[in-house]
Amino acid sequence: MIETEELKKTYKQGSLKVKAVDNVNLKISDGEFTAIVGPSGSGKTTLLNCIGGLDNPTSGKVIIDGELISSYSSNQMIKFRLNNIGFVFQSYNLIPVLTAKENIEMVMLMQGYNKQDMEKRSSDLLNEVGMGDMSKRRPAELSGGQQQRVAVARSLASKPKFILADEPTANLDSKSTAKLLDIMSRLNKQENITFVFSTHDQRVIDRARRVVTLEDGKIIKDIKK
Amino acid sequence: MILKIAWRNIWRNKKRTLITTLSISGALFLIILMRSMQFGFYDNIINTIVQSYSGYVQVHANGYWDKQSVNNSMEVDEKFINEINSIDGIDNIAKRLQTFSLVSKGEKSKGVIITGIEIEKEQLITDWDKRIIEGSKSFDNADRIILSKGIAEYFDVTMGDTLVLFGQGYQGMMAAGKYVANGIIDLKNPKLNENAIFMDIESAQDYISSENIATHLVIDKKEYYDEKKIAEDVRKAISSDYEVMTWKEILPELDQMITADNVGGLIMAFILYVIVCFGMFGTVLMMTEERMYELGVLLSIGMDKIKLYLIILLETIMLSSIGVIIGVLTTRPISHYFNKNPINMDSFGEGLGDAMGEFGFDPIMPFSINWDIPISHAAFIFGISLLISIYPAIRILSLNPVKAMKK
Repeated sequence: MIETEELKKTYKQGSLKVKAVDNVNLKISDGEFTAIVGPSGSGKTTLLNCIGGLDNPTSGKVIIDGELISSYSSNQMIKFRLNNIGFVFQSYNLIPVLTAKENIEMVMLMQGYNKQDMEKRSSDLLNEVGMGDMSKRRPAELSGGQQQRVAVARSLASKPKFILADEPTANLDSKSTAKLLDIMSRLNKQENITFVFSTHDQRVIDRARRVVTLEDGKIIKDIKK
Repeated sequence: MILKIAWRNIWRNKKRTLITTLSISGALFLIILMRSMQFGFYDNIINTIVQSYSGYVQVHANGYWDKQSVNNSMEVDEKFINEINSIDGIDNIAKRLQTFSLVSKGEKSKGVIITGIEIEKEQLITDWDKRIIEGSKSFDNADRIILSKGIAEYFDVTMGDTLVLFGQGYQGMMAAGKYVANGIIDLKNPKLNENAIFMDIESAQDYISSENIATHLVIDKKEYYDEKKIAEDVRKAISSDYEVMTWKEILPELDQMITADNVGGLIMAFILYVIVCFGMFGTVLMMTEERMYELGVLLSIGMDKIKLYLIILLETIMLSSIGVIIGVLTTRPISHYFNKNPINMDSFGEGLGDAMGEFGFDPIMPFSINWDIPISHAAFIFGISLLISIYPAIRILSLNPVKAMKK
């Protein structure tokens, strides 16, 4: 379960203070397929960053399965992210010098997997996202959609509690988007993996079972379908 | 995996990697060759002057060095020699009795240094045999002498010719005698070749009318032992009636010349290192800054900062290793070639060889093939890499994944 309590994040822009996230109280249960939507600058990415421990909130709490992660030190947070959170980024962010398979294995290597388990799991994950035959290709040799599918496989490598996806379809064509959403949806239903998206892509919103709308850092709507 | 990432990363920008490694190897190439040339030259000087003549440490009677006369000689017995020989680091000891005389043959005469030696012990210290170029390697008889190359040429001596020696003996006695040329030696030192005559030490004692005396005890050290430490130990072991000097005290101008030249080489090496340092820093700076986004991603997916730093450190070490390997491998055959075929100083300009001869040096420049030179400079380059990697370490320590990924 992901919980935020009175979460605030304020940025300084020159002499101005900008409230990117303003008093957000949110609970996301295990197995949800949630989209956080809103116009640009509404605070979607900042909220996701605070939940994922990439950014420290100015005040308030982030609690994951009862653990108050917003009080963690930088090193504790890195370890927590490695073992509990999967990230999917807008621009895929695969390591360009590693192959698709190595990109996935790298996460497991950081977790201390042995070689055999690592190889088996990375192959399974690549097959899961339909990229089994492209395991030896480097990111530059893959299309945007293919890279994003590898990124999803990478995010699953560490067996995370949930996956945070920041505008995962923003750079994809409709065919790739549909394929990616099919994969994510299947993983959510079959493996009960929690997905939280920040997006303004209607195709993602249509597939989400819960849509949280942000405006000026505040939740203005929370609809469960 | 970290090794793999680092290795692949350095080849992401092949041109930059090649330029950086070539600048390292180029600088190292110049530094190693320059230092090999310098150390080879010093070794040659030390070899010709110290190892083949003066020895690393000398013991004289007190005051001998300031007033070099047989009247300032010392009595030396086996007990005294054994006492010194028991000191750690000493390889061999030889007695010498040295005096100044006039030598003449036919119409010609010349001032010379007569040195009475113990030929078996001298052989162990100065490799006597190898330098005999004509005639016998030993004295064979009490009236036989071995002449240095320059004297033999001056008097146009052939083996068996008789030369007359005339000079001052011990305590005001007169020294005179007829001696037969038994051999010619090349001392590999133009100055010594002009004025050295050797005879058996007992013949020399007879010549100056004294028994059991010597002017020098020449001490040879074992390899890697410090002559300064040996001299101190000898000083402690014997009475204050003797003076103990290292070759640097005996030949201060030689030591100063080597020190001054060495400092010049170090300044040159420093300039090249500064260039290498900036070249490497520029590359590391670019490698770090252009990948801040990527580093932010790695941090966000859970790679700890130490591993991130290790990647960049490994990249820096790999870059310098490639440069070092190329630099060392390219200089090695050149150093070996010029070690076997030393550069003749005359090839740098007419008369340069003669000028060096005036200073008592053999006018050749063999390169040193001592591994200490490439190893020490390679280690220095690695030191620079570590120093340079402080910059990415600072950047990574203060890295915030959100800020890094916004760039």
